[in-house]
Amino acid sequence: MNAAAWTCLLLPLGSTVLITLLGGSISRRAAGWISTVSCAGAFAAAVVAFVVMLGRSPDDRSELSTAYTWLAAGNFKVGFSILTDPLSMFMMLVVTGVGSLIVAYSLGYMDGDDEERRYFAYMSLFVFSMLLLVQGGNLLFLLIGWGLVGLSSYLLIGFHHERPSAVAAAKKAFIMNAFGDATMALAFFLLIQKTGSLDFDVVFSRADGLSQTVLVLVALGLLGGAVAKSAQLPLQTWLPDAMEGPTPVSALIHAATMVTAGVYLIVRTNPLFELAPHVQELAAGLGTATLLMAGLIALVQTDIKRVIAYSTMSQIGYMFLGAGIGAYANAMFLLMVHAFFKALLFLGAGIVIHALGGEQDIRRMGGLRKLMPKTWLAMLIGGLALAGIPPLSGFFAKDSILAAALAGDTYDRVLFAVGIVGAFLTGLYTFRMLFVVFGGEQSAYVREHPPHAGHDRLVNWSMGLTVAVLAVLATFGGWIQFAGVWTPITDWLEPVAKPLIEATNSQEAVASIISVAVGALGIGVAWWIYSAHRMKAPRPWAVLEHKFYFDELYNGLFYWPAVALARILDWTVEGPIVNGSIVGVAGLTRRTGDWFRALQTGLVRVYAFALAAGLAVLVLVFIAVR
Amino acid sequence: MLGPDTAAYLIVAAFLFTTGALGVLVRRSPLIVLLSLEIMLNGANLALIAFSRHFANGDGQIFALAVMAVAASEVVVGLGLIVAMARKRLDLDVDKLSSLRG
Repeated sequence: MNAAAWTCLLLPLGSTVLITLLGGSISRRAAGWISTVSCAGAFAAAVVAFVVMLGRSPDDRSELSTAYTWLAAGNFKVGFSILTDPLSMFMMLVVTGVGSLIVAYSLGYMDGDDEERRYFAYMSLFVFSMLLLVQGGNLLFLLIGWGLVGLSSYLLIGFHHERPSAVAAAKKAFIMNAFGDATMALAFFLLIQKTGSLDFDVVFSRADGLSQTVLVLVALGLLGGAVAKSAQLPLQTWLPDAMEGPTPVSALIHAATMVTAGVYLIVRTNPLFELAPHVQELAAGLGTATLLMAGLIALVQTDIKRVIAYSTMSQIGYMFLGAGIGAYANAMFLLMVHAFFKALLFLGAGIVIHALGGEQDIRRMGGLRKLMPKTWLAMLIGGLALAGIPPLSGFFAKDSILAAALAGDTYDRVLFAVGIVGAFLTGLYTFRMLFVVFGGEQSAYVREHPPHAGHDRLVNWSMGLTVAVLAVLATFGGWIQFAGVWTPITDWLEPVAKPLIEATNSQEAVASIISVAVGALGIGVAWWIYSAHRMKAPRPWAVLEHKFYFDELYNGLFYWPAVALARILDWTVEGPIVNGSIVGVAGLTRRTGDWFRALQTGLVRVYAFALAAGLAVLVLVFIAVR
Repeated sequence: MLGPDTAAYLIVAAFLFTTGALGVLVRRSPLIVLLSLEIMLNGANLALIAFSRHFANGDGQIFALAVMAVAASEVVVGLGLIVAMARKRLDLDVDKLSSLRG
């Protein structure tokens, strides 16, 4: 099992190194194949490890494998180790499975791009980073993976480095993530000081003895990292801008390798969060606020990728709600099916964008249903799954989270109510996008730029087949677990993350009926507005168009004060002191030089006189001293 | 010890050295300056040999020979420079050779 797990971790890294070293000596397409095969190989290795793990008893499924001691300082030791347990196994399968599909899709999507090799090297690095994050055997390696995920996302969001907006978006994502990295690092420092270790089991077993203040601070630090990486309130503003990257990158970030990391972190460190219950409630609250806010903003977005981006933010909000109220398995379940249908939606949108020559504005699209029937079907499956309509996958996962919220106390029930509103919004914004893009008459833009099917077979196969596989997964992926009757995922994760809360069958039923009803209502409203009446969208509220003014708020709170401080320091410190001292030293040297230069007369006799006079003085001194 | 007392030699040596030094300081022709330098060196040589005799030690004489060799090479270089200046029809006046003024 360990050998398979190590293979799974190191294959994508190997392909990054290989593509980088081979450089121009391989064709662009070969680079794509190396990356695809390595990710698929990692998935195969994960499956092997999974099968081995299945054969063991549930108490014996956790195994720590240490390659060597990576860092030792006195009694504090950190090994380069990976932990293979049901939770990391679950994530490995999702990351490598969905990740390799997306990389395979990129073979077609990125075909002909000038910098394909760089792209695929980064993609493999991204998958490796996420695997290190989920497989890391201690908190330090989790943090290293965490940081590498931030780095890879920076590199890929800014892939089109000739576009200033892409570079700005990459920087924004990196800085917001770095903030989360910093709060996590602070939490880890505190843990090292108080427990003397970063190993999961040691930290969790010693956490009981810590004071409440320390626990709250540690949990807050972890939560800071989680909200930054998962784009939840208040660090959510980087995610929509991250749409500047190529579409498969967006799919990878949203489905497999990045934004789900926050959910994983909360589930992984659930013993710490359970000791700081208020912070865990805060996580649930933040997730719920985010899902509502993102749903509202998604209603007025006009960029097809941004609509999907906000839907991700909203779905991650559901996962935070689940993890925050202790329904860990339900959150992980939603994480998995979300990976399927979100990758499907992004890759389907990628096909549309590709066919329309790079157009992303849904107002210029329309009537694509007849022209692209297969894509329409794929997007419809993704949309129905996202809106939680049975029997597609989203229904099983989202409703069990809502049911768990219904089973909790008053606070949880408020969150449940907001989640129901979110379900309505999900149906509305998803089908607004679908009806506007695919429904109705063909728009002027579509008539002028009819979607063209590529002639390259590899391109068609890589994009078509991966989307088809994802469509199947999005349809049937949810059948793995049916709350109350058939719960393999909950049982599988039981040894690592025991649920704090379980809904009764009647609560499951109530939650399912209400959420499906409001989801369908949302779809109906979308149909009435955007399909039956083809209404011009109601004048969007400015507050939604400005995404609740978060960017403006952060500009006002952080950016402008920083600029003002920099200007003031320029006037008071940099100018007179730093710059002044350098200019002063130079000026002093020059004036001294001027003064000494007068001695250099150029008259040989003066020099000779100086010599003679010096000699005379020496002789006089010599005589006097004697 | 034959001949005059050591002090007498030293007086002559000091006289020679001072004469040479004055010549270096006051004369402007590079030829005369070079000549005065030679007189200074010879004054120094005389003092070296006088002390050598006084202490009955040969070191001073050997050192005087070394000084002579240095003086000979210096004259070669110095006269070469003066001939080069004369060829370029420059004034033979050390005060006018002041292009190294700061």
